[in-house]
Amino acid sequence: MHSRFESPWTWRLLGGVVLLLILQGAGILLWISSSRAESEAPVKFNHRAMVQVGITCLFCHADATRAPAAGMPSVQLCMGCHSTIATDSPEIQELAGFWQRQEPVPWRRRYQLPRFVYFSHRVHVVAGGFNCERCHGDVGEMTVAEPVVDLNMGWCLGCHDQQPNSHQLTDCVVCHQ
Amino acid sequence: MRSRVTRRDFLKIGAAGVASAVLTGCQSPRRWVALEPYVRPPEEQLAGVATWFASTCRQCPAGCGIVVRIMNGRALKIEGNPEHPLNRGKLCARGQAGLQLLYNPDRLRGPVGQAQRGSRAFQSLEWNEAVNRLYTQLSDAGANSAIWLGSATSGHLHDLFQRLAAAVGAPAPLVYDLYGALSGYRELAGDDGALPVFDLGGSDVAVSFGANLLGPWLSAVRYGVEYGEFRSQPLGKRGYLVQMEPRMSITGAVADRWLPIRPGTEGQVAAAVLQIIASNGLGGEERASRASALAAQIDLGQVATTSELSLAQLEDLARIFAAAEHPLAIPGGHLDGQAMAAVRALNAVAGTAQMSPDPPLPALVRSRISPYSDVLDLVDRMRAGDVQMLLIHGANPAYDLPPGSGFSDALSNVPTVVSFAPLVDETAVQADLVLPDRTYLESWGYEVVSPATSRPIVGSQQPVVTPVFDARSTADVLLAVAQGIPAAAASMPWPDEVAFLKELITGLPPGAAGGSGTEVLWARFLQHGGWWPASAAGSPPPGPAPSQPIEVPALQYQGQEDQYPYFLHLYMSDMLSDGRGASQPWLQGSPDPMTTMAWQTWVEMHPATAQGLGIEDGDVVRLTSPYGTLEAPVYVYAAIRHDTVAVPTGQGHTDLGRYAQGRGDNPLALVGAETRSGGSLAWSNLRVRIEPTGQSVAMARFENRVGVTEGFINQGFPR
Repeated sequence: MHSRFESPWTWRLLGGVVLLLILQGAGILLWISSSRAESEAPVKFNHRAMVQVGITCLFCHADATRAPAAGMPSVQLCMGCHSTIATDSPEIQELAGFWQRQEPVPWRRRYQLPRFVYFSHRVHVVAGGFNCERCHGDVGEMTVAEPVVDLNMGWCLGCHDQQPNSHQLTDCVVCHQ
Repeated sequence: MRSRVTRRDFLKIGAAGVASAVLTGCQSPRRWVALEPYVRPPEEQLAGVATWFASTCRQCPAGCGIVVRIMNGRALKIEGNPEHPLNRGKLCARGQAGLQLLYNPDRLRGPVGQAQRGSRAFQSLEWNEAVNRLYTQLSDAGANSAIWLGSATSGHLHDLFQRLAAAVGAPAPLVYDLYGALSGYRELAGDDGALPVFDLGGSDVAVSFGANLLGPWLSAVRYGVEYGEFRSQPLGKRGYLVQMEPRMSITGAVADRWLPIRPGTEGQVAAAVLQIIASNGLGGEERASRASALAAQIDLGQVATTSELSLAQLEDLARIFAAAEHPLAIPGGHLDGQAMAAVRALNAVAGTAQMSPDPPLPALVRSRISPYSDVLDLVDRMRAGDVQMLLIHGANPAYDLPPGSGFSDALSNVPTVVSFAPLVDETAVQADLVLPDRTYLESWGYEVVSPATSRPIVGSQQPVVTPVFDARSTADVLLAVAQGIPAAAASMPWPDEVAFLKELITGLPPGAAGGSGTEVLWARFLQHGGWWPASAAGSPPPGPAPSQPIEVPALQYQGQEDQYPYFLHLYMSDMLSDGRGASQPWLQGSPDPMTTMAWQTWVEMHPATAQGLGIEDGDVVRLTSPYGTLEAPVYVYAAIRHDTVAVPTGQGHTDLGRYAQGRGDNPLALVGAETRSGGSLAWSNLRVRIEPTGQSVAMARFENRVGVTEGFINQGFPR
């Protein structure tokens, strides 16, 4: 009589399970590393501190009223104040390092729409009259900005559908140009 | 008991495996792109909004207008400027590839010097130190300095070099590169450097004597636009194109009639056509009488024999030409001075000879190619030790000149060699000091477009991006150096090149862009891509009218027929042109339009010739001319004469960056230092012999050869 473990199928089954475990382990490791990479901003920018001293969103993200993308502040803009303000902070020193090397700061994106979606900040801020918090949450209460909404189509339509000209704003080509 | 995994179990295990693999896969990282803002932003830039800047292309000397799409400070795409009267919004592959010159990873990051020429052990220098060295050495050399420029140099830079040379008492700059030589600029141009205008769009019969109009000849884009007009004229009229050339070019491929005449007989064919028009009174009284004044007495039978066109074909050609309303004869760059004169005499007979209009301001400089004899004179002076300093900008003589010219040896007798090349080329390797100029997409300038259209054009050139590397504009370097030389400081008083350009440009007469006042005129000049009159005021000046009968002696070939049985047809590569495009991988990788070959040098050979020599596609052969040898694989090509082999230029670089180095061979190795009638380099009358090397390579190409070349051998086509 054969032992159970002498069956070739049992060995194959065990091998498959081990392989699966390895694959799962690799997947988990990838996930951990990627989520860590996402959260690591090159300079831990403190939104709350800036808003508390009265600096508005548009001071840094100045293109939100005139271009599709809100834009990120140039290193020069940061250093315009931080050459003299809070120069002893390690974060500011890190920023100053970029300025000294004349390198751009590789900021991490918090929101990214798929390529097949056309979105313009200008339209929403100028024509729509929305303030930034409407979509981005109360960033003034955050340190490093965190995404508060998942920018999916249902979320967009939830608002477009409520507008007076919703029949126009829910047309496919408004966003999928 | 034997356990069995049933089919159902197997599927369950499989499904579980797939599910867990998919679930772990779901956690794969999203691709987060870093947002890199500017360190110092330009004022006018908006995030996510493209800006377009108009400028002038410098990939060849034609001077097409371009608009460049800039996104967040990076140049993303080059297109033709729709307003520009030369190219009207169109642009060729070479123009598109200019981005790869701008962002070439092998560009010099700043000025460098080397202790030993050819060592490639470049030491970085500070700009101040480099400019000071240039100043000191130029002051020492004085009248014993020489300046060598390329054909695609901005007018203002040419002007400043001229002023500097005059101030130190040195001869005027030499303007010479391979592009000008292979296009026949010297023979085509008038004394003032103006090139003839060939009004292809307005003609109904065009006979091209070997001019590759739609390829890299004078202006691929301009003649491409005109070719479109030529083929679709009002009321359904369609121009008729005859192309004579030993090897079918892209122009021959679209011609109505392709005549692979014997190489070097183009001028005689033109003279024969003249005589037939004169003696048969073709094309009306006026044309026949003009032809009588210009036709020399030649033996038509002799021309028919040497050119391998029958008498009937010659007569037919003359009849078609003379009967047309606006016939046009176009001479190719490989024709010598007399042959070109015979071809242009045909236009004088037809009344269709035109020259580019004069620059709208006498102060604007139009570059004028120096004769090859001037090159040899300079090489002689260098060899004799009379040249203490050589400044080279926009030309690459170490690559462009045949080895027989003795340039490299003579260069070792020049104590100081300074190059302004943005990429280290074969000449910069032999320089002591390299002060990299900015590439044309980062530079200021203007271009008196030649060949122009019926109206004069001054193209504008402006930086479309902030300079990528620490290169400095050569014009500004010259202006800085001039401050220390009293005579130069007086003739070059501008603080920088923009002040100089502005002063020149705002003196232009009112143009299509309108406006008044210095700032507005300057802004519109840059915004619209140049200056041109609102409408064409009449037709351009007529071309030179020859008054004496034109004799075209039989072409003397270099090499005896018994030793060198084949004609060599060198032609400018459609993509790499004279070799300046080899640093750009888009151009290297773009297949040649006729052969679909890329990234290499090849030898085109007729199937019957190949069969006779026992050579197959991809077999490496050695071509030997009286002056040198070249080894390259054979591309069996049905559209070439049996007695001719053709080789494209452009490869065989030892420098010019990673994409250019070590690919193919430079066919200039086969060329001697002889001059032809008209004083240019004799590169088109060479004979070679062919020897198989026994090696063979598999050639990658884009076409399917199966069923393409069979059948040509026995039919004896084409002869």
